Amino acid sequence: MSADRFIAYGLRGWFLVALIFIYVPIVINFIYSFSPGRFPTLPLGGFSTGWYELILSEAPVPRAFANSLKAGVIVALISTFIGFAAAYTDYRYRFLGKNIYLALALLPPTIPVLILGLVMLMFLSRVSLVGELYSVVLAHVVYCIPFAMALIRLRLAQIDPDLESAAWNLGANSWRAMREVIVPFTLPAIFAALALTMAVSFDEYLIAFFVGGLTETLPVRVLALLQGQVNPRINAIGSFVFAISMSLVILAQILLLTRRSGNRGIAAGGA
Amino acid sequence: MTKKKGETKHTWRFTRRRFLKGSAAAAAVIAASGVTRRVAWSEENTLSYLCWPGHGAEEVVGPFEQANGVKIISKEYVGGEAMMALINQSDSGTYDVVLSDREYITMLRAGGLIDEMDPNDYPFDDFWPEFQKMPGHWLDGKLFSVVLDFGYLGIVHNTDVISEKEASSYKILWDPKLTGKVGQFDWYLPSMGCLSQYNGNKSPFDIDDAAFSKLRDTVFSLKPQVAGYHGIPDIFNALKNGDAFAYQGIGDWITILLAADGYPVTTTIPDEGGIQWTESLSLSTGGKKQAMAKKFIQYLTSPEGQIRVALKSSYMGSIPNKKGWTLMNETKPEGATILRHRFDQRNVMDEYADGKIALRQLPAQQSIDDWSEVWNEYKNI
Amino acid sequence: MAHNALTHPAARKVDGYALFWGLPLVLWQVMFFVAPLVFLVVMTFWTVKNFRLAPDFDTVNWVNMFSKSYVIDTYFRTLGYGALGAVVCSVLAFPASYALAFKASPIVQRIGLFVIITPFFTSYLVRIYSWQAVISDSGLLNGLFGLVGLGPFDMLSTLFGTMIGYLTLTMPLVILLQFFSLTGVDRNLIEAAHNLGCGRLRTVFLVIVPSAKTGIILACTFAFILCFGDLVSPASLGGSKPPTLSILIVDTVKQGNNWPRAAVVALMMVLTLIVVAFTAIFFAYRVKKEKT
Repeated sequence: MSADRFIAYGLRGWFLVALIFIYVPIVINFIYSFSPGRFPTLPLGGFSTGWYELILSEAPVPRAFANSLKAGVIVALISTFIGFAAAYTDYRYRFLGKNIYLALALLPPTIPVLILGLVMLMFLSRVSLVGELYSVVLAHVVYCIPFAMALIRLRLAQIDPDLESAAWNLGANSWRAMREVIVPFTLPAIFAALALTMAVSFDEYLIAFFVGGLTETLPVRVLALLQGQVNPRINAIGSFVFAISMSLVILAQILLLTRRSGNRGIAAGGA
Repeated sequence: MTKKKGETKHTWRFTRRRFLKGSAAAAAVIAASGVTRRVAWSEENTLSYLCWPGHGAEEVVGPFEQANGVKIISKEYVGGEAMMALINQSDSGTYDVVLSDREYITMLRAGGLIDEMDPNDYPFDDFWPEFQKMPGHWLDGKLFSVVLDFGYLGIVHNTDVISEKEASSYKILWDPKLTGKVGQFDWYLPSMGCLSQYNGNKSPFDIDDAAFSKLRDTVFSLKPQVAGYHGIPDIFNALKNGDAFAYQGIGDWITILLAADGYPVTTTIPDEGGIQWTESLSLSTGGKKQAMAKKFIQYLTSPEGQIRVALKSSYMGSIPNKKGWTLMNETKPEGATILRHRFDQRNVMDEYADGKIALRQLPAQQSIDDWSEVWNEYKNI
Repeated sequence: MAHNALTHPAARKVDGYALFWGLPLVLWQVMFFVAPLVFLVVMTFWTVKNFRLAPDFDTVNWVNMFSKSYVIDTYFRTLGYGALGAVVCSVLAFPASYALAFKASPIVQRIGLFVIITPFFTSYLVRIYSWQAVISDSGLLNGLFGLVGLGPFDMLSTLFGTMIGYLTLTMPLVILLQFFSLTGVDRNLIEAAHNLGCGRLRTVFLVIVPSAKTGIILACTFAFILCFGDLVSPASLGGSKPPTLSILIVDTVKQGNNWPRAAVVALMMVLTLIVVAFTAIFFAYRVKKEKT
């Protein structure tokens, strides 16, 4: 059956090529961040951590980084809460107009980010909510809710539907059942959602660029540099950004994966 | 409730530990950034600056920041219309200081966006005579903007491919060896202005409709030569990598940096003429820190500030302050040489005196829209 | 009598509890998503004079934008580019998804998914910028080609460059969605097809693809949505040569602060995407009547 083997290896090789394609820019960026000169070339012709030192010492980057972190954490918290609420509502309730309800949550990803950013800028500036970090938070939550909701909804789909009503029949009110049955069960998905929405917010550059004004997040700083002064600062910042968002996504995946086996049909209750 | 022995306990502890760790980490991060904020600059100590790329960088504003305990926060733009868009999108006084191209000062004033300035506050006496009463800065005899830097635009070319002699006419752009290798700086004003000069218009921006129609045809005819419509970083990359060998409408502000790094590029002012760009500083109406803003402008127009502006790393420019020239020749003679700011050699003021340079203006007989529409169509054909 | 959460009478009770969980989404999205979109429509009727925005009710922007032939050209061009990007990505991703779904052990699958998902959200902007270094005339690829005596090829500032960008944008997502669909295909069907003498390739096209149709179509649709609306790839890797609708929007704003005109283009894009999304969902979930 060597034809089969050949095909199997060919397909796997294709997958590897796809993987390489996805990672090439990340690797190149990392290499370029150590360029000794202002215009990196391959081969590098030297090695310097100067760009990293530069971005850390100049005010705009640490400031933007702090902004990104603050915004990211707050966006993660709010969008995960709303995502959880929406996922739970979808899971638990049937009502008229549920499709519209779901559309509200799931439409944002279908709108191009550029348009979302533009539209938010137009709107927020008319109500004077633009140009500050909270403007970025407001807009990013809209963008992140679908991610949180999807993750938590997927997890809720795994829960045994008898559990919650069993709790009610045993005399627990809805709030208690939520606290002691639903939340513990969905906790991994909640944490994964927190990590993922933070990653999404951390990397989002176009909406933040439009609504943030003078308040820059890290990707906005990159965008500003890309428009005006291209030098390996961008690569150095890029390395940081890659490291952080990839860590967050890895964290989210670990959280979800460790829950994969077991827990179907058991109450992951409190101690 | 059924619990599988050991398993649920484990999961709960597992998740609780993770949660505590995670929230501790998050709290630490927020606290840390809060600390940095306090140690860094509170709202009171910032000055916002709307400018072309690089003007707000530490290498330019560092001494001012340290001397005055202030942080310059810059919002960068590329192209005068983008500047107008940004300033009109924000509340009045969002930007304390505005760096504007000369030709937009009248629009800023008409929009009530900049304040009158007192000429006694600024070192006009130290400027070259050509810059002491430069048109566009004085409106109805009142001062609204102070010149910061300037430069010339012509043909930027790779000297390995196109000699300076060949670049003595814009005609070279249509040469077959440049097919697909002529980059276009994605701003209609200088890019079309130079082509207007090629058409023989002595005042390239003040042309009647017939000449404008001809300009349109000239612009479109260049399409097959175009490498791409480039922003500033793309221009640097394209010239460096050989993706483009020539541009019209840009100049020293690009080539000096590349040449300093050893790339074979230069700016040539063709016989048909070149264009001068001028950047000038204004005080924004409604700004809450006018005293500090004024100090900032004074710093930037002082000899030391001027040298830093001239030699910054985003792009270089010529300076109007003669005392700045002197200081540059003393402290940064290499800079003075590459910027052609020497007193003992032919310098940029001599070139201006040659009469081949026209001041860049906004279109006089057509609207901005008319010209930028030509540019949009050009990008699409 | 045993009820589950869905059939329990409480599932229809509208009490404080239900509202607490049900309302946040509605409130937030109406305020910060629906309202801005409604405002977008309103904005298309406003006017701009001297860079200043003024509320108005004027159809001038619609007339203006639709009367310009290059706007119409750009629209269809962007439509075409989006479709091209979606199809190319779907085709190129398929062997990779297939490999992961059918030619990998569960552990390898997990690892494969892991490494595909991890860079998905990392700065798209920086990745595209890094690609410039690879495909420029004196970049990495041309350097490699040069070693074997080929090239240099013109890749930057061309459609090829834009496509590289689109692939960077969509590949992980498409592989993911195709993979999940493919793993859902009933293995019995495949085995039956083989037993009936169906060759490998025929099995793929006549059995596997139709079974995984939903995911494949959804993946393609998402890829289209992403490519259609993307700004960075056609600008940075395509050299804005030619421009797409997103570039047109940015230019319109930069040139005259003309939000109303930009809003017209934005609205055109949103409406187009809604139509595309609904059509795709219709086809993805449609069950064909089989002839027995």
